[in-house]
Amino acid sequence: MAGHDNGSVLQFAPFQSSVDEGFWHRLSSLKLNQLGIDESPIFITGFYAPCSHSQVSNHLTLLGESLPPEPSAQSSHLSLRSGNRNRCSVPGILYNTNTLESFQALDKQSLMKAEAKKIWEDIHSGRAEQESSVLSRFLLISFADLKSWKFYYSFAFPALVLDPPAMITSLKPASQCFSLEEADSLTAVCNEWRNSSTTADVPFFLVSIDSNSHATIRHLKDWEVCRSDGYKLLFGFYDPCHLPNNPGWPLRNFIAFICSRWNLQKIRFFCYREHRGFADLGLSLVGEALISVSQEWKLHKHIPKAVGWEVNKGKKTRCITLANSMDPIKLAVSAA
Amino acid sequence: MVLSQKIHDVFKGTVERITNPRTVSAYKEKGVLSVEEFVLAGDNLVSKCPTWSWESGEPSKRKSYLPANKQFLITRNVPCLSRASKVEEEYEAAGGEVLIDGDDNDGWLATHGKPKDGKKEEENLPSMETLEISKKSTIQSISSHFGGEEEEDIPDMEEYEDPDNLVESDPATLQSSYLVAHEPDDDNILRTRTYDVSITYDKYYQTPRIWLTGYDESRMLLHPELVLEDVSQDHARKTVTIEDHPHLPGKHASVHPCRHGAVMKKIIDVTMSQGEEPEVDRYLFIFLKFVASVIPTIEYDYTVDFDLGSSST
Repeated sequence: MAGHDNGSVLQFAPFQSSVDEGFWHRLSSLKLNQLGIDESPIFITGFYAPCSHSQVSNHLTLLGESLPPEPSAQSSHLSLRSGNRNRCSVPGILYNTNTLESFQALDKQSLMKAEAKKIWEDIHSGRAEQESSVLSRFLLISFADLKSWKFYYSFAFPALVLDPPAMITSLKPASQCFSLEEADSLTAVCNEWRNSSTTADVPFFLVSIDSNSHATIRHLKDWEVCRSDGYKLLFGFYDPCHLPNNPGWPLRNFIAFICSRWNLQKIRFFCYREHRGFADLGLSLVGEALISVSQEWKLHKHIPKAVGWEVNKGKKTRCITLANSMDPIKLAVSAA
Repeated sequence: MVLSQKIHDVFKGTVERITNPRTVSAYKEKGVLSVEEFVLAGDNLVSKCPTWSWESGEPSKRKSYLPANKQFLITRNVPCLSRASKVEEEYEAAGGEVLIDGDDNDGWLATHGKPKDGKKEEENLPSMETLEISKKSTIQSISSHFGGEEEEDIPDMEEYEDPDNLVESDPATLQSSYLVAHEPDDDNILRTRTYDVSITYDKYYQTPRIWLTGYDESRMLLHPELVLEDVSQDHARKTVTIEDHPHLPGKHASVHPCRHGAVMKKIIDVTMSQGEEPEVDRYLFIFLKFVASVIPTIEYDYTVDFDLGSSST
């Protein structure tokens, strides 16, 4: 993209959803065996990982394990949750309705607002600093037609809208932004971060590079320490996007967080991407953004507008039919 | 499902139930793996190729002889940028493999040797069966039952307009037209398919087994029949079958493991004849390398710098 120097609007590549068949199987059994006609929202977990291939972005994936476990499987389920480098958790909420009519009647705008409020509250309460995964939330609305085994659904990845939008002054492959020593050190600490089970699924972090070209990665809660030591500082995040000229969606709320919580106007960010599971500074990006939000934006009580309903090829609603693998009659026929 | 296949499945299931899993290593003798060796080789794959991870799958399908958190291996969202069936057709059209008849007549094969010009050349093509198969079995685009046509049945869905079309009006959202695949658009075949590739342990054959779950470019489940387009046409419908996944719901395409042991044995023999000791924890790298010939365009990761034998890397 040309014109970075003049400052163009920083554009983020939207998150994309991908739902494993196992999710719908699990939802159906939950609906039939436990929930019945209860329409209360359900807390679910999506999973993502940094981009690991130069030609495809990673998605937010829903699996069977995204839903609350069967009571019998609870113990083994929990042990799998943390530390998996290919499954960074994203908290989400599911509104599953009982009828197509109530699905269509859902007020998407107010559901979006409710999620924006959660993100905003987590930024201001400091929770996001402790538990950075709450910065990326998602929303799923669905109608599971268990007579025809059809599932209608829409995703949203709520992002707080900066007003006016952030401007970008530079965006380059990370490999062009560091000296050789810095790049080596950064690659090593990134791999270390991704390989440790305590940090592998922590998607937002701080990178500081000291005057001896030595890089360190720290948790967001160490911000005060990082700021005071005066080293080169970057705001890093796991970028699911593969595009060379745009950062991925998670950066949006991260920038909102940085400017409201730490009140910065100029941000150097680091889009962390991998090749075959290892840090790749050629794919990763380093960019510089300028933020100048209105006074109103800085007020805690003013909840910013949010966007992020997933766009699906002209249609707003996705539909998947799983009769072949779920319908007892079809299963009986194919097994006979 | 073919009847003979079904009978075999019943037989196989019964044998699996009544026999104990292999505990004694027969890696070198038969090219097969014990359960412990499978876990060992899996751990090594996960540590060297971290896009792979262990999963536990559906609790109800858990196998007691495997650790609960290490039931099978999976790598998700693996790109598949072109159809294997297409690639082979193009390869053949470009001349395919041509036997070079030099004076000493030692029968070298030239790949991409001569462009095919008319029937004269055909006598020289050694792989005519392949050519025919790839022509005959061009899979018609099945309007997938996942979405597709059926969507039109939905009453009222078309009229359902979003009141809050916020994304489109937001200047900081990259519009999705930027997100198209960057391959030439010469037909309507979906281009950026992705796959979840998983490896399970087959207790009957005592070897790993590969499973494929495909997604189309809009990340909707691909009909298993369409997955066959991404299988080398020598293998589609022969060694690749569509069956129930042992740990996940639904039907998935799988490379049938009946020949895996023999192929692995052959590779191990070659290694040993070179005076090198084959390490069992390398098994899955070798295995994935040979599976790549069955699914050549699915770009999963198995690359590790290693020579088959020594563990000096």
